[in-house]
Amino acid sequence: MITLRGLTKRFGATVAVDSLTVDVAPGRVTGFLGPNGAGKSTTMRMILGLDRPTAGQALVGGRAYRELRRPLHEVGALLDARAIHPARSGRAHLLAMARSNGIPGRRVDEVLDTVGLDGRAAAKPGRTLSLGMGQRLGIAGALLGDPPVLMFDEPVNGLDPDGVRWVRQLMRSLADQGRTVFVSSHLMSEMQLTADQLVVIGRGRLLADAPIDDVIAGSAVAVRVRSPHADGLATLAARLTAAGATVEPAGADELTVTGSTVDRVGDLAYELGVRLHELSPHGASLEQAFMELTADSVEYAGGPTGSGAR
Amino acid sequence: MSTSTIPDTGTSPDTRPAPGAFRGAVAAEWTKLFSVRTTRWTAMAALLLMAASAGQLAIYAANANTNDDPADDPGIVTAGSVVVSAVELTQYAVLALGLLAITAEFTSGTIRTTLQCTPARGRVLLAKAVVAGAVTFVLGLLLGGVGALVARPVLGRWGSAPMASTIGDILAVATYLALVSVLALGLGAALRSAVLTLTVLFATLMIVPLSLQEPDIAVLNRIADVFPGVAGGHFLAGDVEPYPGAVGLLLLAGWAGAALLLGRAVLRRRDA
Repeated sequence: MITLRGLTKRFGATVAVDSLTVDVAPGRVTGFLGPNGAGKSTTMRMILGLDRPTAGQALVGGRAYRELRRPLHEVGALLDARAIHPARSGRAHLLAMARSNGIPGRRVDEVLDTVGLDGRAAAKPGRTLSLGMGQRLGIAGALLGDPPVLMFDEPVNGLDPDGVRWVRQLMRSLADQGRTVFVSSHLMSEMQLTADQLVVIGRGRLLADAPIDDVIAGSAVAVRVRSPHADGLATLAARLTAAGATVEPAGADELTVTGSTVDRVGDLAYELGVRLHELSPHGASLEQAFMELTADSVEYAGGPTGSGAR
Repeated sequence: MSTSTIPDTGTSPDTRPAPGAFRGAVAAEWTKLFSVRTTRWTAMAALLLMAASAGQLAIYAANANTNDDPADDPGIVTAGSVVVSAVELTQYAVLALGLLAITAEFTSGTIRTTLQCTPARGRVLLAKAVVAGAVTFVLGLLLGGVGALVARPVLGRWGSAPMASTIGDILAVATYLALVSVLALGLGAALRSAVLTLTVLFATLMIVPLSLQEPDIAVLNRIADVFPGVAGGHFLAGDVEPYPGAVGLLLLAGWAGAALLLGRAVLRRRDA
């Protein structure tokens, strides 16, 4: 159980996290979604006691992280897969973590096995680890203390499709064991496949905290219309607008219509004699719901959709 | 592992007191220190520096006795005093142990993992100080021994190595180096950058006190005497003026302790 109460972080004049109040419950995967720069990582760092909140508090199992004496038994976290000493082997990295919390050395081999890093990979120095191997090592570190609460910051970054599927299954099984699983991502499609509950933030503010199906259901369904006749398409657009629908051109021969239905658009096209090459319901995806939720809070807008860390 | 009656399942919140938290932190620091090659390189560099420096200083001492100028004759020189002089240079290799124990964590980002494992900032820093101090002390004993072994034959008939005083000098050198290493650690925790910390250390240990002593004004000399390098020097030399060697040791220890407190305060306040 993770409890955020009015959690706020300011860096100078910038508000990175703006009075978040959220409960992350055990037994399910809670997705933590937001555009880059929304404050996801800052929130996670505050939960781990790494950043000091400007106001409010973050509790894990009812206690502040900094008060925990053997925290790896209570919270496991993957924050930054790149955070390993360039000259230290992955195994030694985990061994140091284990020793700090009185975890026996054999547990290191167990978690290495769980994440699929063999002895050879675990013996390589940190600087030679690929991002994907770093992610696996970070997940191994999170699992070390067999904790009831787990946090992962963008865990599928750098993983191949096999790895992505493995992470999904891992999250699912961890939640099914009754653990609290809190996983951040800027990839909506990923969350749609993994999460039960969604916490969406934008510019540090809470936009949604609801079961994933509710978030998707709340988004508008669009209709895509494609026709080779530009004139006919324009007439159709005018009639639809007059009927109260919102029409947006999506290319030379395509319209996206919201506020109407597939049936009504089809009827109208027949009536007008416009030849259609496509008429399809579009959206009702988390991606669209996410776009609508965060439309006003994207920090880096424009250009082709950016990717990358935080 | 043990016959403990409490099964360590880990899945239940850890409610029992964990007296091993500090021991665990020390074990983790130990593991970290000896799982990077830097540690070995640092020790090798220090040994080479000590051998070269002690050899050179011993040659100087022997030459000064044999040249035409009777004014600079030091007479019979102990191997221990050569080792003590050689430490002035060697310490900059040795203090890398304390320095890198913390600054490498900031560079690589592992400080976040470390604080995740041990959230108590003071405990982390104290564990690092114990490990860096102990390892540096042992390395210091080795360095002192190597220095004396190199210096004695080079000094030839101008040298001596009475057992008790040589051992005393070696112990003093090891203690001095351990404290300087802890001083470097504390400063590193406060300043975070290795280069910046090294610059500040160089200034505090050498540049500032040297500049203060340059004009040879009583007040400035007294101020210089308080600086860690000078205090450590008085301790190593077993001086009685301006204060006994033991006071020099306490002053140096005070600097190391103050640096740790400063480091802890910064670690607590600043975001990792």
